[in-house]
Amino acid sequence: MAYKLFLRNDMLKPSWHSIRKLIDFLPATIVAGVLLLPLDAHATQLHASLEGIITHQIGHLFFLLSMVVLLFTVSDKGLDKQKGWRLIQYSAFLFILWNLDTIAAHFVDNQIHVVKIENISLTQIRVIANNNASFLAWFYYILKLDHLLCVPAMYFLFKGLSSLVNEQKQLSIKKDLP
Amino acid sequence: MIASFIPILAVDVLGSVLMVVIALLCLYKARILRAIDHDNAVFLYLLWISTGFFIFAVSRSFGHILRQFLILTSNPDVWSAISSYSGSVNTVSFMLVGLITLFFNQSWNINEKILSSRKKLEETHVKLVDLNQTLEHKVIERTEKLTSSEHKARRIFEQSLDTIVVTDEMLNISEINPAGVTLTGYKKDDMLANQMGLKDFLAHGSEWERIRDLLETKEFILNDETDFLRPDYSQIRVLITGGVDYGAFGCGKTFHFIIKDINDKRQMEQQIAQADKLAALGELSAGVAHEINNPLGIILGYTQLMLKEDSEFEVDLKTIEKHVKNCKTVVSDLLSFSRKGSLKKSRVDVALIIDGVVKFLDNHTDFRNVQIKLELLKKEEFMIFGNEQELSQVIINLMINACHAVKKDGTIEVGTNNDSSNQILITVKDNGTGIRKKHFSRIFDPFFTTKPVGQGTGLGLSVGYGIIRRHGGDIIVRNRKKKGAAFTISLPAALPDKSIKDPMDNLVSG
Repeated sequence: MAYKLFLRNDMLKPSWHSIRKLIDFLPATIVAGVLLLPLDAHATQLHASLEGIITHQIGHLFFLLSMVVLLFTVSDKGLDKQKGWRLIQYSAFLFILWNLDTIAAHFVDNQIHVVKIENISLTQIRVIANNNASFLAWFYYILKLDHLLCVPAMYFLFKGLSSLVNEQKQLSIKKDLP
Repeated sequence: MIASFIPILAVDVLGSVLMVVIALLCLYKARILRAIDHDNAVFLYLLWISTGFFIFAVSRSFGHILRQFLILTSNPDVWSAISSYSGSVNTVSFMLVGLITLFFNQSWNINEKILSSRKKLEETHVKLVDLNQTLEHKVIERTEKLTSSEHKARRIFEQSLDTIVVTDEMLNISEINPAGVTLTGYKKDDMLANQMGLKDFLAHGSEWERIRDLLETKEFILNDETDFLRPDYSQIRVLITGGVDYGAFGCGKTFHFIIKDINDKRQMEQQIAQADKLAALGELSAGVAHEINNPLGIILGYTQLMLKEDSEFEVDLKTIEKHVKNCKTVVSDLLSFSRKGSLKKSRVDVALIIDGVVKFLDNHTDFRNVQIKLELLKKEEFMIFGNEQELSQVIINLMINACHAVKKDGTIEVGTNNDSSNQILITVKDNGTGIRKKHFSRIFDPFFTTKPVGQGTGLGLSVGYGIIRRHGGDIIVRNRKKKGAAFTISLPAALPDKSIKDPMDNLVSG
């Protein structure tokens, strides 16, 4: 339908008052439908295949920005003086780098399609770059080793949490001392 | 460009596995933090973010491992079919992590507020504990003071020699101290059980109306003298002071009384007045006797001269002589009552004097039907310094009076004792009719007698009183509880050393 019937929240409630209002609108709606003779409006939007990768890239950007925010918030609050929070900062920084890595990788292979990989055998691959640009091929090869960033990032997060746990345990022991 | 696939494959597979493992360890650590402090919002935030990272690691690792597996097993079409789903899940997972991460600042602020509130709460708690301790100390201190005060008040109440009585609004006794129990002669439980009041103690009913009127109008009485009647019908002179207390802390109206026993004081005052009166009478008697004695001597002398010659008035002259002699006896007694001349004094044994008197009176006809009981203590301490004849005369007078009081088949008890003030006590008790109350104040007056006219001169006791006073002693008379009267003579004991001059010499020779 080309038109929409807007109802107020209170009208959605199954009260006698809202039912009365619906009944009041019904004749006007029928008259409008007959007079305007609506055609198909294609209200449901069609999505191209590129939307998926853009959404994924936006997700990475959002993740990256959230890590930047975390990194600076920790500094602003002076928490970087504590070992645990400092390690969490390192983790955030590595996740920023990881996001940059993945954004770049997705950009060249999924967005602009300047690079693609072909499996030659179980142990060898061929990286095909536009115009046979070997720099781009090698750059893409390094970008594919993204776990070298996210695994250390996750490890720093673990170490940071471990450090915070130790600090809390020491504080508890101090509190228990007479 | 041809390159080795091994590094990419190894990093991808191993990295995926490590991501899951480390994310799981992060979750474990975050749970420990959360367990340490449940109220810490930052720790809760770290738990959330660790959970997010774990979901992210699992979804991503699953996708990567599956992809490598499917490509290596030559199923790229299958991977192409599911890669979109895997990528979408992966996108959602790290967006979730990003979303949670953005809440760090809010979590931190919430935690700061919680910590600040907790600190304030702890400070308030410390203050409250301090206040509570101070309050407890004050309560203990006040309780101790109150207990001490109550103890002092209770001791005053219990130990007071004066009677303290607390009555209710209707003047019925609600509290009375031990002195009050002794004074009134009633048992405390009986007084409380029978709701006795002050009116029940008064000897004269009319007094109660007056006291009650005073309490109603002035709300106090001050040093009001009245008589209390004890259960044994003896009377006590008392001084009452009291007033109303409207109470505090919701207590009702009460009356508080302090009652002093002034019986002894009053008796002493009466005795002093009696002694003063007798001293004045003695002075008067001495003057009169001295003035009469000389004319009587002249009359007797001339009468006796006339009787030496025969005379028709011989009978009349003998009558004159007889009555003049009687008069001289009376005058002699009067002089004895107020004697001022010197006397021969020596250390005499009281027991021997009494023994001699009893032997002398045994032969008297009046004493034949009277039983005489002796309780004599023969001790060195029972020696007195005085005139034996005069002291014998006093005891004879007392025993004759006792004999007249008991009439037939009576008993006279004579005893000696001593008290703590170095006084020797001689007691003459009978079981006769006793002495009427109205006669107590006059019993030592010269010429006062209850005997029929002609049977007594009324000088016996007054002469005896004079003798004892000259010896530095005193005579007290009282009615016995059972029946009869009791005379108690108190005399100072003689000093053991004869060389010491007796302090009473001056009194006697005065």
